[in-house]
Amino acid sequence: MKARRSLQKTLSIGLTVGVTLLWLMGVTASGLVAQHEMNEVFDSALEETAQRILPLAVTDILSRESGAGQKRAPAMEDHEEYLTYLVRDASGQILLQSHDTDISVFGARPKKGFFDTATHRIYGASAVSDTLFIEVAEPLAHRREAAFEAGLALLLPLLFLIPVSLIGVWWAVRFSLRRVVVFRESLESRGSGDLSSVSVEQLPTEFEPIAASINRLLERLRRALESERSFTANSAHELRTPLATALAKVQRLKTELSEETSLQKACEIEDSLRDLARLSQKLLELAKAEGGGVLSEKAQDLVPILQTIIGDYERLEPGRIDIQVPDTQVNSLLNQDAFAILVRNLVENALKHGDTGAPVRVRLSADGTLSVANRGDIIAPDELALLRNRFVRSKTDALGSGLGLAIVEAIVEGAGVQLALHSPAQGQLDGFEAELNIVINR
Amino acid sequence: MRVLLVEDATGLGEAVQEQISEDGHAVDWVQSLGFAETSVRTTTYDLVLLDLMLPDGHGIDFLRKLRQAGNATPVIILTARDQVSDRIDGLNAGADDYLVKPFDLTELSARIAAVARRYRGNPNPVVCVGDLNVNLGDHKVLRNGHSVELTAREWALLEAFIQHPGMLLSRSQLEDRLYEFGAEIESNTIEVYISRLRKKLGKDLIVTVRGMGYRLKTYES
Repeated sequence: MKARRSLQKTLSIGLTVGVTLLWLMGVTASGLVAQHEMNEVFDSALEETAQRILPLAVTDILSRESGAGQKRAPAMEDHEEYLTYLVRDASGQILLQSHDTDISVFGARPKKGFFDTATHRIYGASAVSDTLFIEVAEPLAHRREAAFEAGLALLLPLLFLIPVSLIGVWWAVRFSLRRVVVFRESLESRGSGDLSSVSVEQLPTEFEPIAASINRLLERLRRALESERSFTANSAHELRTPLATALAKVQRLKTELSEETSLQKACEIEDSLRDLARLSQKLLELAKAEGGGVLSEKAQDLVPILQTIIGDYERLEPGRIDIQVPDTQVNSLLNQDAFAILVRNLVENALKHGDTGAPVRVRLSADGTLSVANRGDIIAPDELALLRNRFVRSKTDALGSGLGLAIVEAIVEGAGVQLALHSPAQGQLDGFEAELNIVINR
Repeated sequence: MRVLLVEDATGLGEAVQEQISEDGHAVDWVQSLGFAETSVRTTTYDLVLLDLMLPDGHGIDFLRKLRQAGNATPVIILTARDQVSDRIDGLNAGADDYLVKPFDLTELSARIAAVARRYRGNPNPVVCVGDLNVNLGDHKVLRNGHSVELTAREWALLEAFIQHPGMLLSRSQLEDRLYEFGAEIESNTIEVYISRLRKKLGKDLIVTVRGMGYRLKTYES
C-alpha cells in the first residue's frame, strides 16, 4: 500500500518543482536565443573590424614598399586585445599583424569568410584581387564568458524565486484547503453519538460530493440506529403487559395448587417470567441510554430522584442501603430518567454482587460526586476493565443480565462524564465502588 | 374496601380482580376510561387501580379530572411505563402510589393496604379496638392475644368499620363495600355477617342504630 501523503505537501512540492522546471526551460531557451543574437553581433563586429582594417592595412603595406611601414602595428597603449588580426599574401607570407597576435591561431594559408578553430572565431577578407588577405580572430572564450554571464544573470533570480514560490504555493494551497481542514476538524471533534448532518456550505465545490455522501451515510446510519433503538424500546415496553399478565396468572395459579410438584413447577415458571421481566427492563434501559437524550434542556435537582430510587430499594430490602445526600440541591443537565436508570443499575449491582451482610454505601456530595460502594471480594484490575462490556459479568452466582454496567457506561458516555471503578472500594480494604460526577453544565 | 380496577388487558385484569377479591375487597373492573368515569360518578370507591395506556385515552387525564372534581379517592397507578419522569407526572397528577408492570400480586396487595392506611391518616398497620388487636397489613386479628380466623367478607366488613371509626354506616354503604356491581346480594346478608363478627369478636363490638345502620363501638390506635 502506498504511504498516505498530505494533499497540501504534494501540491506545494509538485507545483514548486513544476514552476522551477518551467523557469529553467525558459532560461535555457532565452539563453540560447541571447547567445545566437550575441554571436550575430560579435560576428558583425568581427566582419566590420576586418573590413575597416583592410584598407588601412593595404595602404600601410603599399606605403611600406616605399619604406615607411611597420610589420607589426604598434599598440597605442598597452592593453589586452580581444581582437587580433593578421594580414598575409596568398602564399601565407605575413605582411602585417596586430601587436598581440598569436600566429599559431591562424591556418597556414589565409581563408575568406567565417570559420572556427578550436579556440578562436576568425573572419577572413581579401583585397587587391585576392593578393592581400586579412584575418581577424576573436577568442571563443570571450564569447563563452559573455554567454555564461548572461545565463547566470537569467538564473540568479531562481535562487530567490524557488523559496518564494514554495512559500507562495504552500500558502495558496493552504488557503484553498482551509475549509476542508475546518470540515475535517468538525468531523474529528464529533462525539460518538453525534449523527447530525455536516455543513456543506463554504466547502470547495470539489469536496461537496464527499460531504453530501457523508450526510447521506449519516442519515442512513441515524435511521438504522433509531429503528434499532425504537425496536428495542418498543418491544421491551410491549412485553411488559403480557409479562405482567403471565406473572399474575402464575401467581394466582400458585394459590390454587396444593400438590408439591405442581407448585414447584409453577414457581419455576414464575422465576423465568421474572428473569424475562428483568431482561426486558434492562433492554428498555439500554435503549434509553443509547438513544441519546441523556441530557435535558434545563438543569434539575437530582437529589429527590436519588432519594426516590433509593426509597424503592429500601422498601424491597429494608436497611440494606446506607445513603448520605447533601442538604443543598445538586443541579445537573443530566436527564432525570437517565440518572434514575444509572442509579438503579449501580445500586442493583452493589446489592446483587456485594456481601449481603453489609450495607451498600451511597454517597452524593454537594459538588455532585456520586459513589456507590459495596463490601465483598476484590475484583482484579483486568476483570474490572472487562466489566464495562455488555453481557460480561463478574464471577458471581448472583442473577443478572450483565447489562447493568454497560447501561451505566452508555449513559456516562452520552453525558460526557467519566465513570471510575475501584476495587477495593476507596476507604475500604475490600469491595467494589463506582464513582462519577453527575453535575453537567453547559 | 370497594375498589375500581381500570385495566384493559383481560388476563391481567382477571388475575388482579381475583387477587384483591381474595383480600376481601369488592372489585369493579372496567376496561376503558369511559366506563371508569361512569363508575366513579355512581359509586363511592375506597381505592382506584388505574392503568395508564387505555384504548380511549390516557389514565393521567382521567386522574386529573378526578382530582379537579374534588374526588380524593386514593389512586394507585399500574403501568408499563417505568421512567422516573412518568412516575413524577403520575404523582403530580394526584396518584398515591405507582406500580410498574410486571408486578407481584402480593406487592399489589401490600401497596393497596399501605395506601388505604395512609389515606386514613394512620400509617400504623396495627389498630387496637377494645380487646382486639387488628393488623391491617397482614389481615390478622388477635382477641386477647388469641388469633381469630375471619373469612374474606368478614374481614372486609371489619376493615370498613375500622376505616371509619365511630361513623354510622348504612346497610347499603356496607353492601357497596362488600360487593361489586352485578353481585347477587341477599336482603339479610349484612345482618348475617354482622352477627358472625359479633360472635367471633365480641357482641358489643358493633352497635346497631335501629333503622339507620351500624357503628363501631370503640376505637383507639
